[in-house]
Amino acid sequence: MTSNESFAEKVKDLLTSRILYLGAVIVALLAFLYFSRSISIILTILIQVTIFSIITMSLNLETGYTGIPQFGRVAAVIAGAFAVGAIPGRIMAGFMGLPAGVEYASDTVNFKVVPQINNLLASNWLMSLGFLIMCIVIAGAAGAIIGWLISRPAIRLKEAYLGISMLAIGDFFMWVGHNWTMLVGGSVPVNVPDPFRMFGPDRFNVIVPVFFVLAVLIFIYLNKLTQSPFGRNLRMLRDNDLSANAAGLNIVKVRTQSLVIGATIAAIGGGLYVIYTGSVAAIGLTRLTFTFWPWAYMMLGGIGSNIGVFMGVFLLTILRTMIIIFRSTWFGFLLEVGIDPLWLEYTLLGAVIIIVILFLPHGLVPEKVEPMLPSKRIKNVLEKRQ
Amino acid sequence: MAPWMSSGLIYASGLALTAGSITLLYIVTRTFNFAVASMATIGFYTVYTGVTLYGGLPYQYYPLVFIVGAISGFICYYGLNRQLLRRKAAEITLMMSTLGYDLVLLSMIQMYTDYLTHTYKLFPRRVTMSLFDFELFGDRAAAFILPAIAIGFIMILHFFLTKTKFGIAMRATIENPILAGASGINSDLVYLISWIISGGMAALGGSFMAMAMTGTPVMGMYTIPLMFAGAILGGLGSIYGGILGGLVIGLTEYAGVFLLSQRFGPWVLGYRMGIPLFIMAATLLVFPRGLSGIPLTKYIKNLVGQKRGVNV
Repeated sequence: MTSNESFAEKVKDLLTSRILYLGAVIVALLAFLYFSRSISIILTILIQVTIFSIITMSLNLETGYTGIPQFGRVAAVIAGAFAVGAIPGRIMAGFMGLPAGVEYASDTVNFKVVPQINNLLASNWLMSLGFLIMCIVIAGAAGAIIGWLISRPAIRLKEAYLGISMLAIGDFFMWVGHNWTMLVGGSVPVNVPDPFRMFGPDRFNVIVPVFFVLAVLIFIYLNKLTQSPFGRNLRMLRDNDLSANAAGLNIVKVRTQSLVIGATIAAIGGGLYVIYTGSVAAIGLTRLTFTFWPWAYMMLGGIGSNIGVFMGVFLLTILRTMIIIFRSTWFGFLLEVGIDPLWLEYTLLGAVIIIVILFLPHGLVPEKVEPMLPSKRIKNVLEKRQ
Repeated sequence: MAPWMSSGLIYASGLALTAGSITLLYIVTRTFNFAVASMATIGFYTVYTGVTLYGGLPYQYYPLVFIVGAISGFICYYGLNRQLLRRKAAEITLMMSTLGYDLVLLSMIQMYTDYLTHTYKLFPRRVTMSLFDFELFGDRAAAFILPAIAIGFIMILHFFLTKTKFGIAMRATIENPILAGASGINSDLVYLISWIISGGMAALGGSFMAMAMTGTPVMGMYTIPLMFAGAILGGLGSIYGGILGGLVIGLTEYAGVFLLSQRFGPWVLGYRMGIPLFIMAATLLVFPRGLSGIPLTKYIKNLVGQKRGVNV
């Protein structure tokens, strides 16, 4: 018993030290960026980190904990983004007596309607807050619906078949948004009313903490969820679905629940992304950005470890941003032959995936097997029983 | 031939080769090869480079295309897939590793197009390859030549798999890797050859497809769901099933879009990707094991009255 405990402590120490070490690296990189450029770079990185950590954590719930090869993460993100682009603005426009029907998304009407809504939102902070909450709720609801719909055929398929079908569904969604002009304007991006308009030039400084709080809330929720008996069920299903079935677990139900929760969270991430950018361009919601990058983040951070995923998002986002801002100073030799160093982002993405698979199969912060309750509480319970 | 039919034939023969490439690799190594996307694009850019810089017809560069694709498959096998197969990695890990390779290739393609633009003052980001084609029987020559090449390629492949010693060894490895290893077949070589063939097939398929559609650096990336749809429709059990699946997906896309846009108007064009995906879903509902799961061979064998080994 004692050797077991000391072993567990050792493992725990190792993990905490890894997290600390990674945190130090991240802080050092951020400090370097702050002193070489400015605070605005840090804010951009933080916004990206919050949005993508929400999306990646939802992917981690489905892939890392449940074992579903979710290659269609972009579908749920798109659901959230389109819902926020299409519905809350229409509700506000209808409320204000402006065109709210099919013509809302038309490129000749939309750019006149949205500034009026923005003016109203800027004049009333309570309404802005309500609008933000409405956006999140609508995005989550849309994500849940899409997640459920995808789960219907998905639970019948297995492994790679499932991954490919989800990939195809995600791509199809993007094309629907790109062509169906009534929804979010098709190829002309539709504008999204901005609940942060009243802060004027300080908009970004406010968005960062708000989104960060939301991301932390989702992080806490997912941590609690995965440590609960439900989380145990998910891991059991992932590790051996036959034995899970034999133990009386309703596999279809658990998979559906996991897909719906994951899609809801991812859709909230998509909604927040759209609120941040201020417009919905369907063609920009690609599988590369919203499926493959989250996969790389998750694999680097450690599949099945929420804190690891967060670290992975942070580290890779900083590296991506560094490629973008130092492209002329570090990669001038490429510019001389006319090559845009921005493509190195793809190289980085591919290289990270390959390196992680070959040399770091469990990621930077591997999944930690932890008891359902802290050991002290288990001891207390046992003592009381005796 | 009607324009949609000739484009459809060209496109479908390209898709058939890429879907066959995916299927071949899946049955040999259990790897769903994402890198087919970039290998296809590499095939297209090989032809483009040859045609614009050295002149001539696109067709004369096809042997080179096959070699370039084979090299990209060779690198992927030695650099990546071999280690993972030895480790007996999970299917998803194998798939992700090819995705990583695909993205590295994609970045190289993008850089290469930048280089072409800068150095040779070309416009390689939107290419209409059919401009380099010639006319045959009042139609585009590609509509006759490319299906013929595809059929010829498949016949060579069939000959290789059924008549040569190595092809038979390859089929044995597919049937039962452990037993094949015990009887002295070098499975490493079998994997390598299948990567080389499938890389070449993917590149060739990509260069075919570029004759029917606009060639861009992300061409493979956009069509990869359809290639996978073809492979899945074929049932992932036999190469011929995959080839047939790709053919069906390609032809239904062009025929379906043509018919539906005549009926409902041109807005249908934007949703063209939905047609093959719908066909895939419908077929999988009726025949869960894909086209090759239809017990057609059984009927034929009953008719002919002879029994043979399992087809590959």
